[in-house]
Amino acid sequence: MTESMTDSPPADGVVVDGVARSFGSVHAVRQASFTARSGSITGLVGPNGAGKTTLLLMLATLLRPDAGSIRIAGIDPVADPVAVRALIGWMPDTLGTWSSLSPRTALTTIGRMYNLDVQAARRRASELLATVGLTHLADRPARVLSRGQKQRLSLARALVHSPRVLLLDEPASGLDPAARTELRALLRRIADDGATILISSHELAELEVISDAAVYMSAGLTASSDALTHAATTTRQWRIRALGDAPLATALQQIGVAPENIATDNRGTLVSVTGDADAAQLLSALVAAGTAVTSFAPAVGDFEHTFLDLTKNSAADQHPEPGPEGAAQ
Amino acid sequence: MNLFRGLGLIIGLELRQRVRGVAWYVLIGVFVALVAIVTLLLWFTTHTWSTDGADGAGGWLYSLIIYFVLLLGTLATPALSGNAVNGERDAGTLATTQVTLVSTTQIVLGKFVAAWIASLAFLVASLPFVIVAFVLGNLDVGTVVVSFLVLAAELGVLAAIGVALSAIVTRPLFSIVLSYLVVAALSVGTLIAFGLLGSVTTSTATETYIGFEADEYDDATGEPIDPVCQEPRTHTYDVPRFDYYWGILAANPYVVIADAAPGGFDTHGTPTNLFSALSSGVRSLQTPPVLDSVRDICNGGAPGATYLADQPTPEEVHDAAVPSWFVGLGIHVLVAAGALWWAIARTRTPAKRLPTGSRVA
Repeated sequence: MTESMTDSPPADGVVVDGVARSFGSVHAVRQASFTARSGSITGLVGPNGAGKTTLLLMLATLLRPDAGSIRIAGIDPVADPVAVRALIGWMPDTLGTWSSLSPRTALTTIGRMYNLDVQAARRRASELLATVGLTHLADRPARVLSRGQKQRLSLARALVHSPRVLLLDEPASGLDPAARTELRALLRRIADDGATILISSHELAELEVISDAAVYMSAGLTASSDALTHAATTTRQWRIRALGDAPLATALQQIGVAPENIATDNRGTLVSVTGDADAAQLLSALVAAGTAVTSFAPAVGDFEHTFLDLTKNSAADQHPEPGPEGAAQ
Repeated sequence: MNLFRGLGLIIGLELRQRVRGVAWYVLIGVFVALVAIVTLLLWFTTHTWSTDGADGAGGWLYSLIIYFVLLLGTLATPALSGNAVNGERDAGTLATTQVTLVSTTQIVLGKFVAAWIASLAFLVASLPFVIVAFVLGNLDVGTVVVSFLVLAAELGVLAAIGVALSAIVTRPLFSIVLSYLVVAALSVGTLIAFGLLGSVTTSTATETYIGFEADEYDDATGEPIDPVCQEPRTHTYDVPRFDYYWGILAANPYVVIADAAPGGFDTHGTPTNLFSALSSGVRSLQTPPVLDSVRDICNGGAPGATYLADQPTPEEVHDAAVPSWFVGLGIHVLVAAGALWWAIARTRTPAKRLPTGSRVA
């Protein structure tokens, strides 16, 4: 169980080893093991009910794991929750706001709960309100905030004490595209300062843009490296666009691509290819055949492909979880 | 985090968001209006009594005000405190507080103190009328001080039970209803239990009656002439044994306040406020009924009701009996402290067991 602990864990990172947690007969997390390094953003990928929220609750010192060990910057959250709380910023998936308090009061109060003095807490609140773009609403009661604005307030709350480890549960849901871009830039800045960031989401394209590494989770299990290798070598579709549809179809036929591996959609021609080497070969063959290729890319992102492949395999391997929505309960 | 700093933060937060609402001021306004009406009516009915200032109705008015505060406190406190913890859990703001450096103990105790402060507002709002009661006269300072303190303690017990239930029970509606049931059990349930148990448990009492016969009566005085005593006659009947169960009433908050208040009797030993009237009544229940009584109206040839002589005054009954208020209050405080302890254990994180159907966040 402590094998992965022996090869020097990152000083500031998150190390999860063999963690399990069940609620009665519902096994929300069966076996989770991964490492999130400091200075990087790690995506926690999985379908609804995979156990992501439960895992984050254990990391956030709110739930006690049934088995396994967690180290946050080397500290065990079960043995010393207070020390861990000083280090982590947690943004929950449920948007809780004190509806009668203004965002400024709420953030100042939270700052004081982290032992900041009144002046420092007020300064920090103003700073964060500007960072998340809520300054114009800072003194209105929080009940007037929209979902996206509450989301930003929730993020600001997680950042009040400049935590070294950030645990974000679906931080981008409810945000407009511009706010998502800002969120990405903000998180990248925080990670570049040396913080460890763990983001859970099922919005894979979004997560893929921002993450340096990914942890895949399904039915309470984090994916093993074998499963990931398998996913990387399975067949996936590549979308090809060229000047003129007819020359592309002809070229594919000439190269010898089986017709059952070719499909078309409104955005181009889809060709099933196994592995990156085959894809490279296909591209050079097309170019050699004189096709004017304008776009050649995987039809789905890496995260989505891996995720779909893992979900397919785990569904084949085991019975699906009963009542997946109860997993975080 | 420093215990008092965390407590102060939670109390401030609670008072700002839970209490400071329009509904709260309406409630206080209704309370003030009610007490004002009672004061006015008592003033009109009693200011004519007082000829020399010694028998003013200030004591009655004061004790009524205090019972009003207790009544409104028992009605409002469960509503204000009964969802303090589970309501925040439902709103998703409990967990975000628990991941800060404020401890679970500080959260639960802070909510308790805030609920207590809120219920003490009734006591503060009643202060002008207490002054009116002093003007009416016949009010003992000792009575005022003790009943104020005991009332404050009882309101604290109610606040503690409400907050604790909100942490122990998952659903806010359920915990509020349960808090009301606890209040009802203490205020009304003790009376019902006492009455029923006392009536069910009976003893057989024997009374010996000695009458007299006389042929002639004096026309002027109505006294019998040459009365002859009859043979004693006995008959038996069942008497309820309330003296076995008076301890149940000690758990009633109204009785606790009444029993704790000192003084409240005039020179004839009769009560001058509701507290002494109630507590001398309750304490008289400690005396077992006389199971073997003699009613001798013949009185050895000089007929009269001398057997009725030497009945103790309410003050004598009051002072001779065992005071029970500190037992009642002590049990209340212990229950409240135990409930808070359970609430803290139940809310502590990292959580090992979660109540079914609830989530940490």
